[in-house]
Amino acid sequence: MVESIVLSGVAIGCIYALIGITYNVMFSASRVFSFTAGTLGMLGGVLGSLFIARMEMPVAVGFLLALAGGGVLGIVTEIVAVRPVLRSLDQHLYVLSTLALALMVQQFTAIEWSTEPQPFPRLFDIARGGFDQQFWLPMLACAVVIAGLDLLYRYTLTGRAFLAIAEDTYAARALGLPERGLRLASFALAGVIGALAGFAGGEMLLAFFANAPMLTFYGFVPVALGGMGNNRGALAAGLLLGLFQQAANFLVGGIFASVAVFTVFIIVLLACPEGLAGAALQRRV
Amino acid sequence: MPISAAEPLLDIAGLSTGYGKIGVLHGIDLMVGAGEVVALLGPNGAGKTTLLRAVSGLLPWSGRVRLAGRDLVGVNPREIVKAGLAHVVEGHRVFTQLTVLDNLLLAAYDLARSERAARVDEVLHLFPEIATKRHDRAVTLSGGQQQILAVAQGLVRRPRLLMLDEPSAGLSPVLVDRVLVVVQRLREAGIAVLLVEQLIEKALAIADRVYALARGSIVLEAQTGETDLPLRLEHAYLAISSRTSLSQDSSLWP
Amino acid sequence: MMDTSAARLRPSRAGVHASASTIGAAVPFLTLLLVGVAFPLFGGGYWGVIATRACVYWVLVSGLNLVVGFAGQIAIGWVALLTLGAYTTSVLTAGNVTPAFPPYLALAIAAVVGAVFGLIIGLPALRLRTFYFAITTLGFATIVTQVALAWQSVTGGGVGVPGPIFPAPFASQWGFYYFCFGLAAICTWMTANVAASRFGRALTAIRDAEVAAEASGISKSALLSTVFLFSGAVAAIAGGLFAALQSYITPDAFTLDLSILFFISILIGGRGSVLGPLLGTILLTALPEFAAPLVAWSTFLYAVLLLVIVLAIPGGIAEILDFKNRRPLESDRAIIPRPDLLARLLGAPANAGALMLEHVALSFGGVHAIEDLDLEIRPGQVHGLIGPNGSGKTTTLNVISGFYAQQRGAVSLNGTALAVFNRPQRAHMRIARTFQTPRIVGSASVLQNVMIGGTIDGKGAFVESLLLLPRHRRDEAMLRDTAMLALAAVGLERLAAVRADRLQHSELRFTEIARALMLRPAFLLLDEPAAGLSAEEIGRLGALLLTIARAGTGVLLVEHHADLVFDICHHVTVLNLGKVLAAGTPAEIRSHREVVHAYLGG
Repeated sequence: MVESIVLSGVAIGCIYALIGITYNVMFSASRVFSFTAGTLGMLGGVLGSLFIARMEMPVAVGFLLALAGGGVLGIVTEIVAVRPVLRSLDQHLYVLSTLALALMVQQFTAIEWSTEPQPFPRLFDIARGGFDQQFWLPMLACAVVIAGLDLLYRYTLTGRAFLAIAEDTYAARALGLPERGLRLASFALAGVIGALAGFAGGEMLLAFFANAPMLTFYGFVPVALGGMGNNRGALAAGLLLGLFQQAANFLVGGIFASVAVFTVFIIVLLACPEGLAGAALQRRV
Repeated sequence: MPISAAEPLLDIAGLSTGYGKIGVLHGIDLMVGAGEVVALLGPNGAGKTTLLRAVSGLLPWSGRVRLAGRDLVGVNPREIVKAGLAHVVEGHRVFTQLTVLDNLLLAAYDLARSERAARVDEVLHLFPEIATKRHDRAVTLSGGQQQILAVAQGLVRRPRLLMLDEPSAGLSPVLVDRVLVVVQRLREAGIAVLLVEQLIEKALAIADRVYALARGSIVLEAQTGETDLPLRLEHAYLAISSRTSLSQDSSLWP
Repeated sequence: MMDTSAARLRPSRAGVHASASTIGAAVPFLTLLLVGVAFPLFGGGYWGVIATRACVYWVLVSGLNLVVGFAGQIAIGWVALLTLGAYTTSVLTAGNVTPAFPPYLALAIAAVVGAVFGLIIGLPALRLRTFYFAITTLGFATIVTQVALAWQSVTGGGVGVPGPIFPAPFASQWGFYYFCFGLAAICTWMTANVAASRFGRALTAIRDAEVAAEASGISKSALLSTVFLFSGAVAAIAGGLFAALQSYITPDAFTLDLSILFFISILIGGRGSVLGPLLGTILLTALPEFAAPLVAWSTFLYAVLLLVIVLAIPGGIAEILDFKNRRPLESDRAIIPRPDLLARLLGAPANAGALMLEHVALSFGGVHAIEDLDLEIRPGQVHGLIGPNGSGKTTTLNVISGFYAQQRGAVSLNGTALAVFNRPQRAHMRIARTFQTPRIVGSASVLQNVMIGGTIDGKGAFVESLLLLPRHRRDEAMLRDTAMLALAAVGLERLAAVRADRLQHSELRFTEIARALMLRPAFLLLDEPAAGLSAEEIGRLGALLLTIARAGTGVLLVEHHADLVFDICHHVTVLNLGKVLAAGTPAEIRSHREVVHAYLGG
């Protein structure tokens, strides 16, 4: 029982953490939170099921195409919903433009794909049971992303350029860094990470359009609690969330578990609006 | 077309710009010749930083700006850096979470990979005080060292014109002199410098020419050798006129 | 230019203008009213259902409009209240869990439940950032639906419950239509009243110019709480009507799509408008009905519309219909203040004591922004505060006006200490201020912007504005007259009806001053008002400030423009690196060597 809770809790926690990282990567590049993060996760699962199960492509090909699809949505988000709004004076418009885009993709999926959850293919032909692939795939994906981002930031100049843009856009522009191209690349990367989360979690979550609003919310909790732009915080908070949710599921049942998760989240957030790590408040006057 | 007397490296004519609806600069004319050090002085709020931002492409502007004969209208900051202009912004803003080395490598982002290391080394030779800290994160540097790092970033691309925005702000007098010695050496190496400064005496000591900017317009242009310069500057800053104070003249308003 | 023979401003002129524009604004509503009343004559049974549904949705959206359109809160999960209202009404009338209630009483109880939950769902807005709050409302919506699903003993779980049935004459289809239509009309009237009241203006101030709202004494928490209560109540009533319309409700009738529909209706209609979201609701309810495939794609369409609006016409339908703000303005506009009107505006000097700062200190991180600062601003004088960048001038002003808290020392007026961070206290003690960058509500008229400054002088309660009771009318007339006087005094009354974002920068500066004058300030604090003004305008500004001082107000002028300061100030304090460098008359300061050095650097 405990083993089952831990396994599923860590697995789903990794998916939530990855969506949180998706939010963070987009935020670092633009100071904007995008509603499309949860939709990217949904798309990873749906595209995986579409390419591998329905169109019967080899797993590797379907995998790469699903990631590419995520990258494309990331790029579209930047060009259509973020860039035009960054220029305007009313900064809050980005909430609406990314919401609109996310809804369009979700609705399109619901109509063209299916309104019911569809099965996600088994990726490796191994028997079920115990430490099953549906659990370790999300964990592996999470580890790969965290390690990959670390390598990116530490060993490539582009990665360090991302960090520079995240810290001080103005100085980066003055220095001659290609700020716009780097932002676009960040969003593409975020798209790939989101799609990877959905693909790796496909067996657990199934290919279902309604995963989008669910991941939009549960993927944001790691960001809110872990601190904006803080990937380590997102990982820790994501794992905690996953474990808490699965424990509540087993102990009190699905629906009251959601209520429990939500109530705890609200209380913690109201107590620490900047996340458990805390952050400096902005100057208003 | 015959080439007449040396065309200025930086040629600004009728430059106007602002932020949103607020007009800050009104028709600026300014020139910097190759290898010259030009000081831009003026009280706070005059528009000195705004002028530098316009020239380096960070702000839209109207008028004419030419760098070595090339028209800069609509050119983005990255292209302007490639064209040979470096802008060291106010407030020694370096990337604090990255190392000194990384900060310099980022300045060399557009160079071929093989060249980057060489250029960075070249610049570190000029500034031994940060060379010893090359693997330390910039947040561990003092304000003065961060300013030196920011200037070093500007030099990585071997610019023809370096624009420095108040490099002395927040620095101890020793470090201020250090920075100004660097400016001196740049002039000797043939690099032009446009220096925005608060410290008038120090700026006048190393500049060839000086402009004073007040309330969005150039109010003074002179060679630094001229004798009554300090007094003329004072008048320009404080806008001393013969008009009496309004609060004492009750005849103006009922 | 000004007609100098017009010796007095006629306040009734403003009143006549107001009446004329109110009649103009009422025409679209009256048209809709007529169409709605006559609807059963030409609409068939099917369209009757659609029309009823539009009315029910509008009852909810009219209240949500105050939250989203006016207060600017991104509440995308408001369907939670529809669900609550629907289930409360249905369960109470069904009689399985409780004795059967009469439907009107059940509706009233649902309204109370809705009000309480509206407050619960809305309150996080006071503490969380925009995006975070949006996410929490989403969470609430999901939770409520899930609770409805799980609490089988009460809600019937997935099976659902029958909706309430209203007695004759509202039992028939058209009878019920008129019931819903009547409620929709009442909600339109009430929210339009709020929109045209000081509460509506205060909401838009919170949305677009929060610091200016605070400086005017507006309490964000009190106002938002009121609006959440109202909006929740009205949404719950809509829920009861919805349940009656559906005649049977299950949890999956309350989808996120509905929430999105409500939210998008407001954005498409335009924020800060009542007519716009009303048209938006009608449009979005009716649109899918025109073609069968549109029903499935309806939410997709709404999302596309939202994206188009955000990118192309952020003002929505209201902006498209705003014909009077398309008329070109005169190009050569000069601002000519009329200082003679200031005496009328400001009244007799209040005989307040001095505004004193004693040994005030404040550090940010390791930086001493201000240190051991002593300052005395006397009524009837203009006191200049100058110094190089980073000297602490604006910090000082922010401490006086309550936006920063000093770490040491005291700020007091006439012996009474000014509590840290307490902005409403400043407004009540008649300390007004302006800002470095004008903080105004761009989509409101200049007159409305100035009226915001006098919000705390209104005596009527929210409910009185809601129902257009006499005290509300008196408040409005008083605020309008005072604002026109203030605008005339600063020289902008010809631009009173113009939308504020069409004004030039200098005009916005003077608008801010007019707004500050609405408080009839004992002390007026100005943060670099001369920035961006032409030499002529600076001269006029100087004369205006001098006259304000002569009327008894103490003026603190934080400035870079040394010439303005030396021209009009009776007393000047020079700051450098957070400390007082020198203090005295302009003549003394100008010749003070250290001051010259500080400015010139050295």
